[in-house]
Amino acid sequence: MAEAKLAEESVLTDDLLRQLINVGEVDILVGVPTHNNAKTIGTIVETIRDGILKFFPRERAAIINADGGSRDGTPELIANAAIDDARPNSKLYTLRTFHSISTQYASNPARGTALRTIMAAAELLRARACAVISPESTQITADWLTTLLRPIYTEEFDLVLPTYSRHRFDGILLTNLLYPMTRALYGLKIREPYALDFAFSGRLGSQFLTQNAWHDGTAQTGSETQLTLAAIAGEYRICQSFLGTKEHGERHSADLVPAMRQTVGALFSSLDPNFSSWNARTGSQPIPTTGDVREFTLEPLRLNRKRLREMFSTGIAELESVFQSILSPSTLAELQQIARAENVPFRYSAELWVKTVYEFAAAYHKSVISRDHIIQALAPLFRGRAFTFLAENSNGSAADVENNIEGLCLEFERTKPYLLEIWKR
Amino acid sequence: MPLKQDVPWYKLAIIYQAHVRTFYDSNGDGVGDFQGLDQKLDYLQELGINTIWLMPFFPSPLRDDGYDISDYYSVHSSYGTLEDFRTFLKSAHARQIRVIIEMVLNHTSDQHPWFQQSRSSRENPRRDWYVWRDTDTGYPEARIIFLDTELSNWAWDPISKSYYWHRFFSHQPDLNYDNPAVREEIWNVMKFWLEIGVDGFRLDAVPYLVEREDTNCENLPETHGILKELRRKLDEQFPGRMLLAEANQWPADLRPYFADGNEFHMAFHFPLMPRMFMGVKLEDRKPITEILQQTPEIPPSCQWCLFLRNHDELTLEMLTTVERDYMNDTYAQDKEMRLNLGIRRRLAPLLDNDRRRIELMHGILMSLPGTPNIYYGDEIGMGDNTKLGDRNGVRTPMQWSGGWNGGFSAAEAEKLYAPLIQDPVYGYPAVNVVSQKKTEHSLLNWIGHIIAVRKTTSVFGAGSIEFLYPANHRILAYVRQLDNETILVVNNLSNAAQAVELDLRRHKGNILIEMFGKNIFPRVGDLPYLLTLGPYQFYWFRLRRI
Repeated sequence: MAEAKLAEESVLTDDLLRQLINVGEVDILVGVPTHNNAKTIGTIVETIRDGILKFFPRERAAIINADGGSRDGTPELIANAAIDDARPNSKLYTLRTFHSISTQYASNPARGTALRTIMAAAELLRARACAVISPESTQITADWLTTLLRPIYTEEFDLVLPTYSRHRFDGILLTNLLYPMTRALYGLKIREPYALDFAFSGRLGSQFLTQNAWHDGTAQTGSETQLTLAAIAGEYRICQSFLGTKEHGERHSADLVPAMRQTVGALFSSLDPNFSSWNARTGSQPIPTTGDVREFTLEPLRLNRKRLREMFSTGIAELESVFQSILSPSTLAELQQIARAENVPFRYSAELWVKTVYEFAAAYHKSVISRDHIIQALAPLFRGRAFTFLAENSNGSAADVENNIEGLCLEFERTKPYLLEIWKR
Repeated sequence: MPLKQDVPWYKLAIIYQAHVRTFYDSNGDGVGDFQGLDQKLDYLQELGINTIWLMPFFPSPLRDDGYDISDYYSVHSSYGTLEDFRTFLKSAHARQIRVIIEMVLNHTSDQHPWFQQSRSSRENPRRDWYVWRDTDTGYPEARIIFLDTELSNWAWDPISKSYYWHRFFSHQPDLNYDNPAVREEIWNVMKFWLEIGVDGFRLDAVPYLVEREDTNCENLPETHGILKELRRKLDEQFPGRMLLAEANQWPADLRPYFADGNEFHMAFHFPLMPRMFMGVKLEDRKPITEILQQTPEIPPSCQWCLFLRNHDELTLEMLTTVERDYMNDTYAQDKEMRLNLGIRRRLAPLLDNDRRRIELMHGILMSLPGTPNIYYGDEIGMGDNTKLGDRNGVRTPMQWSGGWNGGFSAAEAEKLYAPLIQDPVYGYPAVNVVSQKKTEHSLLNWIGHIIAVRKTTSVFGAGSIEFLYPANHRILAYVRQLDNETILVVNNLSNAAQAVELDLRRHKGNILIEMFGKNIFPRVGDLPYLLTLGPYQFYWFRLRRI
């Protein structure tokens, strides 16, 4: 009975276990979570392989694909990257066998399960350094492999997070909430706390695997963010590496709530267990950054600002009773005033935005209503903040935008005592 | 299982490479000799080897350990007399041990009378026995082999005021094989020793016999023509004798040395050797299987000669730059260990004196297709001395006992031709024949055991090979087969225990009998055959359908 339960809990299928036995101990592991990525994955995996062979030619290395039930041949494309004596690649020289294996963990994609599978494999294979590459990172170059892995492999960092050259309006959720709030709470200037391309050390991966969040299900969403926060809380060595451009994929308004669950939800849920880690920190420190940061010319970003404002106003009206449970009366009143204003310019100020976010975090902590509803309710407010951010920066240069983001970060840091105050209330 | 009678002897040979100078000194002058070697034949017979390959023992100034011959028809006075050699040969044959001798065809010593006459004047009848030029610009595409000591393949001779050609040291002028008189004389030399009774020759440096402009002067058709002619005469006049080629070349370039079975009987597989070391260090079979995949089929009467170490450096010539760098960085961190494009170390130090790895490497050596060659002293795990120049560090006296001079010689220590290994790990007090004979599980006794097991079957020497490609790349597995006899070999190249699933469906119904302990393993069925192996462990299984 106990054995049956154990097997049920394991993320490792017998087939994967068999493959891991064949791979054996590795120095470098690269995990690729996928779900129907056949259009892009072939090139990405070949680039990963080229990067490993170029920068780690002597190391024992492998690629592992954790697939969420693809039906388009994605796993097969990844397996094709293997080079061994039974399948020699006449165009590529390798000193040793290069494994590229694939496992399907479910019929539905779940990034948390994918990361857990990759981490479990990394632990069993005793990987010193493990990189995770998003199947959507079509801008990947071979250099990424050394940029992400070298700090762990040779400089004993535990977590390498990316920085990108982004369009000034790309990643507004990141620049207006995730980055400044993580920075204010945990005291580290981590630009991409929610990373889809990153690398971790064997010891960090093993520690993260043991956390209870896997078992209570909270790690299933936002697991990448939780990894970052676990590394901060555990005082692991973190750095960030410049990877080049971050291309913004096509996004729809319906994508926002799932994205917020993955990121903001993970950030909020980490606050309880990590309270002792963040409550006493003040200010923020930079973290080591590697790689040559270069500017790239990026395609202009098309955003429908009018729609953002409409959705904010609709949300304020429709969710009033929800907001009454979450927000302080003064904050709600200010938001309603903004929503009603017609003859004055719409402006959702940084001060009010920070106060809003902190009140949502405290409400999440107290579970005043369903935690998922809290995250969903934040979405229309974020749209209002995004509208203001775009409006205030529409004529600004990249440097101007960066200055405004920095100002927002300082506001989050300055207002942190307010969060502590309402947290305990 | 009886040994097959129709297999040529050299396919079932287990060769022991010895140097008269290094083996045993019978007269106390500090140098090994033929009488000493004769006295140690019982030891070799007990070890189980059935063929001895002797390094050059001819008169020589010994500037290249005898590979600089000054008289092909005699024995170096330090090693005894021609009569001593005859006596030794007779004793070896009486013990069913064959003797192969080294023959350096490509060049002589510059002290050889042939060269002395050749350089004496341009009109001398032997002038054309060597390759002379007025300038040093000929054959520019020929590589320099001894990179650490030679700047050119041409050397200036102040006596005849011209340049002579040499592929190795400048004191080793190359013979001119375009001259029929040279070819005839070399056959006379070989015939001389064949009539005395030697069983074959290891022909040194054969790719370089002939030079031609606009080529790299290696493996030329003219060279093959000369070698075929020697073989024709050998078969006609001395059937059953054998020629073994030393040609450090890629497999595709080695293949022509077998021709249609009418050139060499055997050739050393040089590219395989470093890849065995690489495979064990990488814990990956890929280097080994890849080079064997690239190795062409050879005529049925021919055979590869395999070795782990020999009297030379562990040559890295037949590796890519990446592979060579890896080998140097992992096996020769100390620059002093490097020589030319190789590593001058013995087997045991190369393998960190790890008994498990030493056994595994011998297991592979003895089970891959070919005839194994054991370098003297490696059977007891002798060490080396990189402080000695050139390759002399791997040519130190054999360590027979923990007593005076390691039992090698009664001479005063300073009279020995070379100092004994004396370090705490490999020195003769710790590593010697006498002490290992007394210990049941010593390396010496283990080597004797594996030789005995190999000799129970003709499969290893004459059978086919089929590689299995289990997904676990640390496992090197293959099936050897000869007629209705089948042997499965499974090697774990890793320093950790491994599980492996083998696809043995073709052999369904067979039971596996482990050849060392003769224990029975489960019958092969439809499912993958699961085996677990300890670190560096290997299995030889005889497949039996009972």
